[in-house]
Amino acid sequence: MRNGFLHDSRGVGIRHHQLILPSVVCSTHVARRIANQVGALTFAHQHGCGIIGEDVAGIDDFFADLAGHPNVSSVLIVGLGCETIQAQELATKLFAVNPSTKFQIIQESGGVEATVIAGVEAARNLDLQFPKIETGSAKFKVGLDLPQEDAFSKELASSISGLGLDVIVATHSAASIDNFSDFMRVGTHVIVSRPSGNQPASGFPLIPVINISSGSGLHRATTQDFDLGHDADIPIILQTLISTIEGTLTKAEMNKMGEIRAPRRVRSV
Amino acid sequence: MAPLMAFARADNRWGLRNHVLVLPLHSALSSTAREIADAIPGAVALGHDWSGEDDNDLERVISTLSGCAANPNNHSVVFLTLETPFEKEIVFRASSMSAQSLLEVSLPQMGSIAALTVSAKEITANLVVQASLEHRVEAPWSAILLGLECGGSDALSGITANPALGIASDRLVGLGATSVLGETTEILGAEHLLAARAIDPEVGKRIVATVARYESSINYEGIDLRGAQPSRGNIEGGLSTLEEKSLGAAKKAGNAPFTGVLEFAEIPQIPGLYFMDTPGHDIEQLAGFAAGHINIVVFTSGRGTPTGSPIMPVIKVSTNTPMFESLTDLIDLDAGTIAEGLETLEETGARIFDEICEVANGKLTRAERGGHQEFALSRMYGTVLG
Repeated sequence: MRNGFLHDSRGVGIRHHQLILPSVVCSTHVARRIANQVGALTFAHQHGCGIIGEDVAGIDDFFADLAGHPNVSSVLIVGLGCETIQAQELATKLFAVNPSTKFQIIQESGGVEATVIAGVEAARNLDLQFPKIETGSAKFKVGLDLPQEDAFSKELASSISGLGLDVIVATHSAASIDNFSDFMRVGTHVIVSRPSGNQPASGFPLIPVINISSGSGLHRATTQDFDLGHDADIPIILQTLISTIEGTLTKAEMNKMGEIRAPRRVRSV
Repeated sequence: MAPLMAFARADNRWGLRNHVLVLPLHSALSSTAREIADAIPGAVALGHDWSGEDDNDLERVISTLSGCAANPNNHSVVFLTLETPFEKEIVFRASSMSAQSLLEVSLPQMGSIAALTVSAKEITANLVVQASLEHRVEAPWSAILLGLECGGSDALSGITANPALGIASDRLVGLGATSVLGETTEILGAEHLLAARAIDPEVGKRIVATVARYESSINYEGIDLRGAQPSRGNIEGGLSTLEEKSLGAAKKAGNAPFTGVLEFAEIPQIPGLYFMDTPGHDIEQLAGFAAGHINIVVFTSGRGTPTGSPIMPVIKVSTNTPMFESLTDLIDLDAGTIAEGLETLEETGARIFDEICEVANGKLTRAERGGHQEFALSRMYGTVLG
């Protein structure tokens, strides 16, 4: 199996993504402009402000987990300035364990254009400072996202373990979006997902997702969005998993699919 | 005063913009919607994280997405769908509220994200061409449905930008337009003053009851909202108490009587001043306005924000001049001139009124020029049970 990329204290990743992390919904567009210019990865979300109670620490920790994911090479946090989750504090929290973190704040940078210019420069500097370094093979984590645990899933998990990989299994009753977030939080490198029959193939920024069809009507109609058919046996799944770890892009990565939803316990205010 | 020029819809509503909106009905299609809109000048898109969940927020999600689709600022809508029953309900409700073209591009029918993208781009581009052939015509003042918003408030909000906006709002309401105050969080402690301006006792009771309901929806979580406000950013901006913040925020609604109270995403039926039950989260509250068919927004800010909307033009007004001068590409108008002694409240209010008219007639806002189309679904419940 190919070696991974050394990413400091975050561990070894199977991807080398620079992450432009908007710390609040208000800065998602600015983050996207920066990411587009430097070829980095970003995503839209609706979090970071108007949160109370345990969600404040919860969302802060969620963002920290995103930035601290092993598939991330370096992080530029883009904040607005007056939001609940303060970009500077988030960056300080991360910097303590991860030197590849910087931040840019719109309200302190002279507006959108000035933030984009400064952010692009900061991102490029981070990329130079933290280049791609291959390292020895590591024990990668695989997330198995399935409708239910059954004999097949147990055999698949056992086979993946047999490759020397760690396996985490999670079941879903509907969409997989929250399972993907949970996998991210424990540093899962790659996800194998069999979505519910009424859910499409989907992805997660930062983590390659291998989608296996359930054979449902929706999945049969959208075969091209799945990496594997419903009749894929365990050797084929393992082969695809190894290939993905070694760098082959999944369909979800090619289609740039995937929204991120942080878990919330309280309504917004 | 220049006449108001707008796009006449077949159902007697008026659009101040003529957008082709690409609207995904599943989170997995959100990035595709953005890609399509990015590729076609004149198209707009919104993204969200709803994946078809049938939970306690289902009705709120359906009314938000269907209301946004039927907003009169849309010339037409391209829905990206999986053809689920909930999605069909969204399209059905939008069609019952709107005479605009509502087209669906179905992932199961297209067979793949790639094929859906190609097809939706072609359909969207054709609609943009059709939209470009339409012209504005003279419209009555009732064509304006103004949303009143503030965010990142500071110590000057309640004495510069907000009361100046209130003057503009009063003038529009007097001319027959509709104006809507939102952000229930931000009138906590001032609800009795708003209730006293209700057109009848029943509306006054509803204002007070709506605020109480909102507060209890937070309190059941064991959180005292009055202890969590003003926010950290507000305190850094010089606000000291929730009452100070709320008294200032309520000034956006001027002195006109309140005609009614609207639920989140509810559409006002007759002109007048309304209060809508929305959260203080700026982007979620804008989603409520868009779903309630508001077609233009004025957003006052003490700290500054790039916020825009895919559907409504958002005019940003600074409460203080230093922020206006330091964030020139975010803010449309400066109301700090009042504190600087350069303008009276009435003069600034007149300037805001004029800007509303110009933007209603097609002038682009800073947010539109910058391509800001932030969107967020508002949820009453968490996404995690327990």
